Amino acid sequence: MIWLTVTLLAFAAGVLGQLRLRSPLANPTLIATLLVAAGLLAGGVPYDTYLRDVQPLTTLLAPAVVALAVPLYRLRALLARQWRALLIGGLSGTLTAVAADAGLAQLLRVSPDAARALLTAPATSPVALQLAPFTQAPPALAATLAVLSGLIGALILPALLTALRVTHPLARGIAIGAVAHGVGTARAREEGEHTGAASSIGMGLAALSVTLLVALLAQ
Amino acid sequence: MSGAASVTARLNAPARFLLGLGVLMAFAALGQALVGALHLPLPGSVVGMALLWAALGAGVVRLHWIADAADGLLGILGLLFVPATVGFLQFLSAGAAWGLWLLVMTAALLLGAGAAGLLASRLLRPEGTPERP
Repeated sequence: MIWLTVTLLAFAAGVLGQLRLRSPLANPTLIATLLVAAGLLAGGVPYDTYLRDVQPLTTLLAPAVVALAVPLYRLRALLARQWRALLIGGLSGTLTAVAADAGLAQLLRVSPDAARALLTAPATSPVALQLAPFTQAPPALAATLAVLSGLIGALILPALLTALRVTHPLARGIAIGAVAHGVGTARAREEGEHTGAASSIGMGLAALSVTLLVALLAQ
Repeated sequence: MSGAASVTARLNAPARFLLGLGVLMAFAALGQALVGALHLPLPGSVVGMALLWAALGAGVVRLHWIADAADGLLGILGLLFVPATVGFLQFLSAGAAWGLWLLVMTAALLLGAGAAGLLASRLLRPEGTPERP
């Protein structure tokens, strides 16, 4: 119970910090992660113990992802009109990221375990977890790198897109979701419902395309 | 159908929230079951999202049953990922290798999102005024 309490309060502190600081680094998920990690390290609490304590949050993640169907349904007419931009933009973003992860990991001589885990980082962590047997990556590392990829994406991608003059909410959303999936979608929703809906489409397409790619390569 | 709508409209907000949460969890479970039965390497929740979208389109599920619960859960989506992001603690022993991992990951994010954003901007069809025929 204590760590569930700490996590809830740390996230609330993160939301307050975001309101106060208005800096892109003041992201509630980042602030909560750092506060909780510091607490666990200080208390010498193993991650498995923590995970048991926060089981209710993990349970709520599945219905929350299902709930992404609601903004998709609300905006169905707009999204249907723009399906080409969303499909091509999303797929090219995800595949570019997978190729960059693979190429750079080889170029920089990343250890084989981490290089395999990085391959699935552009897909949401449950996908990374389920693909680990096919990529022969350590499952926990694949899931961790995927969710951290989402977090880093949430921190840096809005600024990147602004610098590239990508201003349309659907273009911003599909770009964030295509590589930064869940946490990225939480961030994209802060920009508005259109950005959030496009981001959840990007996340769904990334789940499908990374799965297909790994299945093909594993043959 | 209008009878059902008036019944759910009479529910107070917490009860409507519970109805919505129940429906969302049912679709999560349905997605999970489908993934297990068909051996799909996809997360059950993403399949559940597609099923719910289809059910809303087909009119099997009404938007007002689930809107409150969906907006509530999505409002704290960032919280629900904290248990997973804290997972980096399992790999602290990798030490300096983290620098390299984060570098690769960040570069891939910038390249992927940059490509997607620029391409999607070009491919978006111009939308006139919202009430355009």
